[in-house]
Amino acid sequence: MIQIYNVCKAYQKESSALNDITLKIPKGDFVYLTGPSGAGKSTLLKLLYCAEKPSRGQILIDGLNITRMGPLKIPRLRRRLGVVFQDFKLLNSRTVFENVAFPLEVQGKKRYEVSKKVYQTLKMVGLEHKLQRHPLELSGGEQQRVAIARALVVDPLILLADEPTGNLDPEVTMEIMELFKGANARGTTVLLATHDREMIRRFPRRVVSLDGGRLIDDRTP
Amino acid sequence: MFERLLYFLRRALRNMRQSPFLCTAAIGTVAVSLAIMAFFAIIVLNVQQVTRHWSQEVQVVAYLDQVPQEEVLKGWIDEIVSLPEVEGVSFVSRGEAFEAFGKRLGADSDLLDGLDKDILPASLEIALKEEYRNRQGVATVVDHLRGHQGLADLRYGQDWLERFESFLDLLRFAGFVLGGFLLFAALFIVSNTIKLTLYARREELEIMVLVGGTPLFIKIPFLLEGALQGALGGFVALGFSYGLFQLFLQRGLSSLLLASGVSRIVFLPVNDQVFLIAAGTALGFVGSLVALRKFVRV
Repeated sequence: MIQIYNVCKAYQKESSALNDITLKIPKGDFVYLTGPSGAGKSTLLKLLYCAEKPSRGQILIDGLNITRMGPLKIPRLRRRLGVVFQDFKLLNSRTVFENVAFPLEVQGKKRYEVSKKVYQTLKMVGLEHKLQRHPLELSGGEQQRVAIARALVVDPLILLADEPTGNLDPEVTMEIMELFKGANARGTTVLLATHDREMIRRFPRRVVSLDGGRLIDDRTP
Repeated sequence: MFERLLYFLRRALRNMRQSPFLCTAAIGTVAVSLAIMAFFAIIVLNVQQVTRHWSQEVQVVAYLDQVPQEEVLKGWIDEIVSLPEVEGVSFVSRGEAFEAFGKRLGADSDLLDGLDKDILPASLEIALKEEYRNRQGVATVVDHLRGHQGLADLRYGQDWLERFESFLDLLRFAGFVLGGFLLFAALFIVSNTIKLTLYARREELEIMVLVGGTPLFIKIPFLLEGALQGALGGFVALGFSYGLFQLFLQRGLSSLLLASGVSRIVFLPVNDQVFLIAAGTALGFVGSLVALRKFVRV
């Protein structure tokens, strides 16, 4: 599903955020991307959702070389991905329903299709009773569940999560992890960046470790 | 397609509702910029009235040695009227010329007492069509009349005509420079205000890009919003400038221009009013387009 070959990313001449990364993630896999702050986890995710271009190397998603992708094709790729962030990135002026409906509106889905799908997804994350609330009226865990619903509503091929539990307490972290596990069980490939070792211990999966922009370990339990 | 357009319109209206302060700021900026332009246009329009009035003075007077017989005179007049530059010809007899001169002297007309009424020559006053009331138009008519026997002397106020043309050139140049400057200033201010409104919504734009919004999908509601705000700004500018025209400008211009022969001070004609609103719409649209280039990058 994801093939990364000799990828480098340098923002400045003499310091590189990623150095010669080669990695393959098969369809339906669940992978933790771990490492200390500044290891290059977020940069690698950014390369995958095309927020950045690699300085060198190739990345293929579902057989498509995204490093050669023109700006008009990038939106089409992003519609097949779900992205979740540590700071949720919700639109606070819109309701929970409107936030989750947003990616479907972007795809030009019909209104009744949007309503049905959004309701189903909110039910899946346990927030169907709060669809008219605004994000700031919700707890951190609930806001992250809205963000996950927004990522899942398009039935993504790949779910990319950048420290999704970084701001949450351990109990809520477990609830969020159950949602990721559920998405993975339904066939979505999950790539989750975290430095929470406790979470990796409780939900053991393949772990790819980065340090200083280099891949230092790739281990499957 | 229609549903898509409605969706974009709904989003544009919702954006405006959700940020009333920013929306008001954008409308206000367009309104102020356009009101300044409207003021300038009103002044130019009324000064043009003065020049149009003055241009009526641009005529050729052909003095006659001898007044020919009525039929011959009619033939001459018909010949001159047939020239494409000529609007009309009026015959001024010696008596009429004397009377007109007396009127011009006003209180001093008694100076003419005892003088022979045939002292002044008869003439043909040749009025030119508006588009030929310039140096070239006059020259063409004069060239044609020069070869005409019976027309002794041709007068057309050469010096005055040159000064008048220089004044018109200066007026046009000033109008072009000032109007262009105002237009660019308006575009700059409006585009920067819209940039600020987009800056406040950069998160929304970022999320739209993340979930796969195409540049066109992201931009259309903002362009519509800019155009709507521009149109509203145009209406406000029109109302505002009409109010100020009634309260101050009309009186101010009257005191300056009525003495120059203009019959009344006019507000913008309907065409210009429609143009003002269209300019507001275009200003909002282009302002948004310029600002979006900075904020929407896939």
